[in-house]
Amino acid sequence: MGRVAEDDDRAFTELVRRFQGRVGNLIARVLNDRENVDDLAQEVFVRVFVHRRNYRRGSRFSTWVFTIAANLAKNEIRRRVRRRNWFSLDALTEVLSDSLPQLADPTESREQGLEREQLQGTLARAIATVPEKYRLALVLRDIEGLAYEEIADVLGLPGGTVRSRINRARAMLQRKLQPLLRKQDVP
Amino acid sequence: MNRCDQARRLFDALWDDEVTQAEREWLEGHLGACPACRHAYEQYARTLEAVAALPRVETSRDLAERALAAARRAQPVPDRLAVAPPTPRWVPVTAAAALVLVTLALLLPTISPRVGTRPGGSLTARVEPAPVGGPRLLATAGPSPAAAPGATLADSLFDRSEDVEFILDPVVLHRGRARPAGNLPAGVQAEQVVISF
Repeated sequence: MGRVAEDDDRAFTELVRRFQGRVGNLIARVLNDRENVDDLAQEVFVRVFVHRRNYRRGSRFSTWVFTIAANLAKNEIRRRVRRRNWFSLDALTEVLSDSLPQLADPTESREQGLEREQLQGTLARAIATVPEKYRLALVLRDIEGLAYEEIADVLGLPGGTVRSRINRARAMLQRKLQPLLRKQDVP
Repeated sequence: MNRCDQARRLFDALWDDEVTQAEREWLEGHLGACPACRHAYEQYARTLEAVAALPRVETSRDLAERALAAARRAQPVPDRLAVAPPTPRWVPVTAAAALVLVTLALLLPTISPRVGTRPGGSLTARVEPAPVGGPRLLATAGPSPAAAPGATLADSLFDRSEDVEFILDPVVLHRGRARPAGNLPAGVQAEQVVISF
């Protein structure tokens, strides 16, 4: 990051390559939107570049970049909600019903593949319906695997609040998925 | 709180591997004995496993190049909070006065043996390159220069390539403001100090 601050283009592209997967995944899971993930991830890295001299040496770069990505995702959610309120529900419904990319398993039958896709789609939509403040904490913890302390830094919250939000998000998600889980229990 | 509620409150900590050994042993004992809690924990774990197993969303391969191009186009927004307040006007004046004061303080001990010896005469401090043995600081009162005893300075302090002359007019400092000296302190009578290198 020190080299990026000194306008080293190669260092910047290396940095983007190293973090684009995690940043893109965070945004896609929080927004449940795969279509615009490239544009949004690009915006995150543009902000990293523009504010490169504000980066505090010694702090973790991943924390800083996740903070920028989380703020951008929050703003995007609010912008979409405003748009939904101004225009119609259709746009948001379309965004939330986005299908997920699937990695083909050669041993999986077509029916199994469809079932798995359906399950993952349902799960992604369920995450997207968890309120924003809980959702961000949940994605950072249970999808991106960040430590509680780092999530607290990213979200600018006390550790206790982060734990409570993650616990509540997990409970909400479980309640939303309860019918699906019950159905799977049936032999 | 019954044992089942107590056990379910520990699910998050168990999943995050943040239970103590005693809590783990108690919880594992309870889950072994309570089918309802065991089933609830299985559902909880399956939910979070499914969340963690969601396929990663891939970004495009040329994102780095696109981001760099877009970043180069982006103009940084000036930080309006970081603008320093305007420097008060008296600061440079005070700094200049302090500089003059420090210079005089450094020079006065060197030239003091001659100060005041000839009332009304001009005071000149002159450093001239000596032909042998480096420059000597000469303090002169009046037109005839005379060597100050023991005022020889280190040769490395001087660049002999060019003569530089500083002329310091006596000033009086009052509340950070310098003005030409009308009246010098008692015992000091001089018009200017000239230092030549």
